[in-house]
Amino acid sequence: MAEQTAEQTEQGAERTPQWAMAIDLDRCTGCEACVVACASENNVPTAGEDQAAMGRTKHWIRIDRYYEGEFPDIKVKYRPVMCQQCDEAPCEPVCPVNATYQNAEGLNVQIYNRCIGTRYCANNCPYTVRFFNWFAPEWAEPLNLQLNPDVSIRPSGVVEKCTFCAHKIKRAKLDADAQGRELADGDVQPACVQSCPAEAMVFGDMTDPDSKVARQLGSGRSGQLLESLGTKPRVFYLEKAD
Amino acid sequence: MDRRNFVKLVGTASGGAVTGACGRQAEEIIPLLVPEESVPVGVEQWHPSVCGECSAACGTLARVMASEREIEVDGELVRQKIAAVKKLEGNPLDPVSGGRLCARGHASLQSLYNPDRLRGPLKRVGPRASGQFEAISWDDAITEAAGALAAADPGRILFLARARESVRSENIARFLEAVGAPPATSIGVGDFAAERASSERVFGRSGLPLYEIQDSSLVLSIGADFLGGWASPVLYSRRYGHMRQGRRELRGRLIHAESRFSLTAWNADRWLPVWPGGELALASAIGHVLLGEQIADTPASVVSIFADVDLEKAAGAAGVPAETIRQTASELAQASAPVVVAGASMVRRNSADAVAAALALNWLLGCVGKPGGVIPPADPLGVLARQPRFSQDWSERLEQAAVVLVDGVNPAYNAPASQGALAAAQTVISFSSFLDDTSAFADLILPDHDPLEQAALEVPAVSPSPSIAAAGEFVAPLYDSRPIATALSELAEAAERPFEELTVGQAVSTLHSAVESAGSETSASDFEATTLRDGGWQGQPSGKPPATPGTLGTFEIAAKQEGVMFQAYESPQFGSGSGANRPWLQELPDPTSSALWGLPVEMDPATAERLGLVNGDNVRIRSEYGALEAPVYVNPAAIPGVVSMAVGQGHASYGRYASGRGANPMVVVGNARDEKTGCPAMGPTPIRLEKIAGGARLVQFSRQDRDLPPHRV
Repeated sequence: MAEQTAEQTEQGAERTPQWAMAIDLDRCTGCEACVVACASENNVPTAGEDQAAMGRTKHWIRIDRYYEGEFPDIKVKYRPVMCQQCDEAPCEPVCPVNATYQNAEGLNVQIYNRCIGTRYCANNCPYTVRFFNWFAPEWAEPLNLQLNPDVSIRPSGVVEKCTFCAHKIKRAKLDADAQGRELADGDVQPACVQSCPAEAMVFGDMTDPDSKVARQLGSGRSGQLLESLGTKPRVFYLEKAD
Repeated sequence: MDRRNFVKLVGTASGGAVTGACGRQAEEIIPLLVPEESVPVGVEQWHPSVCGECSAACGTLARVMASEREIEVDGELVRQKIAAVKKLEGNPLDPVSGGRLCARGHASLQSLYNPDRLRGPLKRVGPRASGQFEAISWDDAITEAAGALAAADPGRILFLARARESVRSENIARFLEAVGAPPATSIGVGDFAAERASSERVFGRSGLPLYEIQDSSLVLSIGADFLGGWASPVLYSRRYGHMRQGRRELRGRLIHAESRFSLTAWNADRWLPVWPGGELALASAIGHVLLGEQIADTPASVVSIFADVDLEKAAGAAGVPAETIRQTASELAQASAPVVVAGASMVRRNSADAVAAALALNWLLGCVGKPGGVIPPADPLGVLARQPRFSQDWSERLEQAAVVLVDGVNPAYNAPASQGALAAAQTVISFSSFLDDTSAFADLILPDHDPLEQAALEVPAVSPSPSIAAAGEFVAPLYDSRPIATALSELAEAAERPFEELTVGQAVSTLHSAVESAGSETSASDFEATTLRDGGWQGQPSGKPPATPGTLGTFEIAAKQEGVMFQAYESPQFGSGSGANRPWLQELPDPTSSALWGLPVEMDPATAERLGLVNGDNVRIRSEYGALEAPVYVNPAAIPGVVSMAVGQGHASYGRYASGRGANPMVVVGNARDEKTGCPAMGPTPIRLEKIAGGARLVQFSRQDRDLPPHRV
């Protein structure tokens, strides 16, 4: 996909950005600002204690944390994990109704009104970043006023997950169009990227060599989560430099 | 056709969602079913606001869009169109947040739209703390409150408020002046009394110093969990990110000393697990070794506090090997741009001394006022001179008080010992928006607007340059609440006392006068318009050289306290406990334990094994002050013998999400205080532990503490 776009660009065709994210683990502090920012941006409902006890919380982005070593020589290894927007996404071929697919810009897209809730995709995702709605989400009045009208409320019976803030990509394109200009690097900032206090996350077009994300991918510290599975994620992690 | 598209088409046809499409490309079929990227976007406006969650006072932006709610009019439900806040983000023009925001900042939206917000003034009808209230009109509430104030001896009026430099604080000060009462006091939660007192001693200026860690090569942090909520978490996280990877030529290093494996410890290259209360010993020992390095022209008063330290003894008191201390000091001495961040995220009995000693290390390192070093607190802007400050005798005054007024603090929760005095007080008046632990004791509740519903102006606790964060009004209040300034004004009027409210606009004008005298040529109206449009104002750093410290006094290093110790701490999600009524924060995994909707007692594996405890078992913890019961989390990174618990749960009253959930660690910590400032300590408190049957459950987001072996294909 990335190569095709580079070719198209050379031929003067309209550029199709290839979205990717780089997360610098040397900057990330594990503060979870991204987790709440995502819930706020994307109308991610809370499950409540009883459902949480059954493992039914929905965190489109989470901080995985694992302890290594023993006291006092103990470290903690952690990273934000969200849908990795894989080029070879294991979730896609198992969906019997084609509710999830990769779009031209590399986003792994979920169509809620096509999803019939088999949960095959969630079972097949090695990153466990897909969430099934066991119940229709509820917000006690007036918490519903916080809901973002740009993002669908997912009904019961469907699977949901990180969209790379697809609605913000759309808004950025509309804004750029209105201003009569091309989309520029940094115009699109998913909620997690926008909020990150340590500025650990960068989002952009990986096929634009001048983009921040493309430069991060070339930093020499870049890798992917469970790379050996061959899923080709669009989320890249810059390992700690120590 | 490639495999992917083939699978898509087969999947589509077999699902029966679209028929007769076998000849088309997948791309043509899929848009028929509205992917998320095709949902139309709405019209939005962004308004500057000021985050009130902590004293960092981040400048934020509120995303406002058209919305509607159902209200009852004459017994009928009708839909009302309103402007609603949809999200909060950092304000890129604000020097503190720089456009970023922490988890608590985001979740403050759930204060505005919390279903448990009070709809109007309330009058208590049942016993204190019973939660039995009835609605009352504002006129009646003001009349009753003013009557209580008029009948009271002004000297026995006690106003408990947050230590913020804000227009709100100034109005409280004006009100108290009008009724002849003493100034407001904080209860020592989140106002950094130990840090301020230390700065006064070491730099001759009260306030919080600014650490230039973004330009440091080596940061030693002693007791300051600056990535986990201390002082100004967004500002310091931004600076931390830059320290690590913002400079091409240099990656800064971090050594963190704290008695808990906090977020800052997570991020450190080396964690020094100092025994609780041993922070002074550690700083002194490092200072003593540094003296031998003779690396800077050090003031005599600083030399004197480190000269006679017995390294081995101090290392023993700190619980850190002397060799580790020597190595740390040596690395600091050799670093090109070292700095020591001095704080008391968990206040101890000796915190004022511990923070002062740690701060004084910067004199030894020669990094005071230098790039990558520490900048002493700036001179006050002079716009908001009066703010509530911690006063040691607040609990004694509470016992004597005739009228207690409470705004923004929750003594019944943070200082449980105050409940007796609150129950016995003649009159308690609260301005809380919620029926929280303290307002449950109130006779009258005069609910304030939410911070997002009113204009605000605040000076951040720490800022890279002199600055304020300011906001105008941009959404209508949801309920029959009133801004505290209005309520105070009405109270003063009813009591026939002269009170003139300070508005945000007037405060900006005062600031303009100060700026004008410093050479600015902007007109007053332009200045006000720009300040409110941009969400604040930012000046130039003064560049004033720091004063050499005078006598620093004596520092006594106490021996290590033996036995199992308990400490409470403020977590990044709940702060001092005010975040507990936000569902987003309840469902945010606790960084240490991954707990949701509850907080466990954290203890090391050896202590847990000795008591036969595994994750989720319940324990009873007793101290000389009180007892609590809670589930256990066996923390692989806990110091053996140190039991910790985050503040946040255990509210007797705080709405549906927080009430009656979990335990309040302050019950066990008791009323220990920092000996010099009187600021409430958070341990160490000697405890006894016993396993109990049943009890609360531990709900974890991730039960797995250790990673599995690498996946092999």
